[in-house]
Amino acid sequence: MSLTLDQGEALCLIRLKGEIDITTAADLKKLLLQALASGKDMCVDLECATGLDVTALQLLWAADREARGSGRSLKLAGPVPEEILAAVNDAGFESFPIGSARK
Amino acid sequence: MAKEQTIDKFKLAFLEEAREILVELESALLALNENPNDTELMGRAFRALHTIKGSGSMFGFDELAGFSHNLENAFDEVRNGRLKVTAELINLSLAALDQIKAMLEAASGRGAADSGVSAEILAKLRRLTGKSDTRHAAEAASSSPSSFPSSSPLAESPAAAVGAARDWQIRFSPGSDLLRTGTNPLLLLRELKQMGSLRTKASMAAIPPIGELDPERCYLRWEMVLTTSAAREAISDVFIFVADSCELTIEPVIERVTESVIERGAEPALEITAGAKPEITVAPAAGQASIPDAVAAKPAEKKPPPWGRRASDTPDNASSIRVPAAKLDQFVDLVGELVTMQARLGEIAARHEDAEVATVSEEIERLTTALRESSISIRMLPIRATFERFRRLVHDLARDLHKEVELTMEGADTELDKSVIDELNDPLMHLIRNSMDHGIEPADRRLAAGKRPSATIHLSAQHSGASVLIRVADDGGGINAEAVRARAIEKGLAAADAQLSENEIFNFILAPGFSTAKQITDVSGRGVGMDVVRRKVEGLRGTIDITSKAGGGTTVTLRLPLTLAIIDGLLVRVGEAYFVLPLATTLECIELTRQDIEKANGKHVAYVRGEIIPYIRLREYFDIKTKQPEREQILVAETEDGHYGFVVDQVLGDHQTVIKNLGRFYRHVELISGATILGNGSVALILDPHRLVREALRSTAARPRAKGAAV
Repeated sequence: MSLTLDQGEALCLIRLKGEIDITTAADLKKLLLQALASGKDMCVDLECATGLDVTALQLLWAADREARGSGRSLKLAGPVPEEILAAVNDAGFESFPIGSARK
Repeated sequence: MAKEQTIDKFKLAFLEEAREILVELESALLALNENPNDTELMGRAFRALHTIKGSGSMFGFDELAGFSHNLENAFDEVRNGRLKVTAELINLSLAALDQIKAMLEAASGRGAADSGVSAEILAKLRRLTGKSDTRHAAEAASSSPSSFPSSSPLAESPAAAVGAARDWQIRFSPGSDLLRTGTNPLLLLRELKQMGSLRTKASMAAIPPIGELDPERCYLRWEMVLTTSAAREAISDVFIFVADSCELTIEPVIERVTESVIERGAEPALEITAGAKPEITVAPAAGQASIPDAVAAKPAEKKPPPWGRRASDTPDNASSIRVPAAKLDQFVDLVGELVTMQARLGEIAARHEDAEVATVSEEIERLTTALRESSISIRMLPIRATFERFRRLVHDLARDLHKEVELTMEGADTELDKSVIDELNDPLMHLIRNSMDHGIEPADRRLAAGKRPSATIHLSAQHSGASVLIRVADDGGGINAEAVRARAIEKGLAAADAQLSENEIFNFILAPGFSTAKQITDVSGRGVGMDVVRRKVEGLRGTIDITSKAGGGTTVTLRLPLTLAIIDGLLVRVGEAYFVLPLATTLECIELTRQDIEKANGKHVAYVRGEIIPYIRLREYFDIKTKQPEREQILVAETEDGHYGFVVDQVLGDHQTVIKNLGRFYRHVELISGATILGNGSVALILDPHRLVREALRSTAARPRAKGAAV
């Protein structure tokens, strides 16, 4: 698995590859905080991710909330693999933790 | 290989845990026998069985799990008011419990469980529960559900539980440590999904701002509705390994609940499904408001739902850990060594008169004392578990002997060193058996004597200085002192014309092979029991005291040291020899001058504030031949026989004493409870004041007026 952060001029791209679980949770948090601190809009690329566990889901959800709170956007970049969607579904999320409309 | 070892370790942990659960189950069953309508107790018994079944099947103890499952079903019936608690059910359950125990022992390689016994118990159980019989039949023939009423009026009828699919509302709130223990809640949810149709909704209400979020903690909570034909147990089994660290409720859905959670029949509200081709690139900002607002807003507005009851049951789940006793023993041993070395350091520091060294030495002394105290407190356990075990013994014996006996307890929370508690089981068992068989009279004799037909055995524990007093008291017929005396003379233990005090007579009971019983029963009468009691208690450096009143019952008091490892002592010197007396029994130190001795006319007594204190002169007692100093010291100690003094040359001060065994050759030396190594490397004997006084009194009684002295 790997977590990377690419900072473009107006956009931060967070790439998550492989299994994103409790072992990477602390790193993911750091990365998301870094992206949030950049003040730019953010994109998360999950195309090469093979799994998300509860820690990743709640981190992404919290980052999304934070981004909205500061008037920025956190979006999905590219397609989401089926198993990731299955995990989101099984975890009982009504919508994808990031990028979806929320009240 | 390594994996196998891990599994074995888990199995061992299970076996150990199961044994503990059985103790809990036994006490619940026995208490239930007394209060057959107590729903709390029914729940306890049910939960115990449920856990044994669940973990048992998890670790591959299928036979055990299957057997417990049947028993668990019976208690589910009890819990739901469909089966009454009767003495028959309790006795059968206790027999089943013994069988589970046998299975556990067989699993750990000790003995074998007789499956015939299991079958017999289960057959009896089916006869008793009747209803659960049909349930088993139904389970077996689940392909023909028409055989039982499909429109059951009761929501939770057995038919509904097993046959038709029904809805269960499950609230699952993981504990904060769930993820760290390696549990993946998603897997649990997926397991549930396989049981039927599952609608899941996660609540994000507890997720904090990302900056404050602990990435390894689970903040999500779930509400689910599961439509399944499985029984409640099967659902809760999914959570069996996290049950202790989460809040969980599983309730059958009734209309009211349905409304509040997820609309029945509606498709899962989640829009993105695995089926939809994952072509979601960047989600549009607004247009996708497909989530029902009400649902999305709810978690934030709603007060936290009443998540289960476990929270109040076990407020602090992770507050204890299981450590092998051997590791603890090693730890205490090391602390003991440290205490010895510290004493040595203290002595060196005192000799060198270097302020810096003295400061360090004092600091280390303070730390060592704290360390010693906490290491001992780690080994301290309440005696309750040992006491509770005897409820079963009393229950079974009362049934076998056709006597009505009630067991009462007092001070069960009194703490004792683990190694002492471990050794107490046998002696207490023998004492109780004795009381039940010999002490307590049959009901008709009790009535004739004007007593209540139901007898009482009272178990109590109480601190007394550095000792704990454990009493087994019955209100039976008491000991016939004359019969004991006659038997003692017959056995050659006493001379025919000996003048014996009641106390001495009762002590014959403790002699090996001594029994006045005319008939040997299964329970007692072989004269082995009390000898076992004596040897065990003496092995623990304890003493036994028996008091009895004809017609009024017998009380046996065991005085045991709180700990076997380290004590606070008072270091004294007589000539060149050092001794340690336990500080806890020492009351005061007084000077003894030549004039004082003359005043008492050579008698070994001292006057202390108007009280006459007899004393034992250690110099004479141990025949130490050095010059007697002008001034001596009396240490006044509290013993079982009153206040006694011990005369020494000099009191050196308090001393943390690590008790070392004297070894095999000296095990019969009763006056000395061990030895300790002093700072300078020399050995000091630890004296047992109680024994010393007893021995002195005995020798005085044997040669009355020997020298006209008290000793």
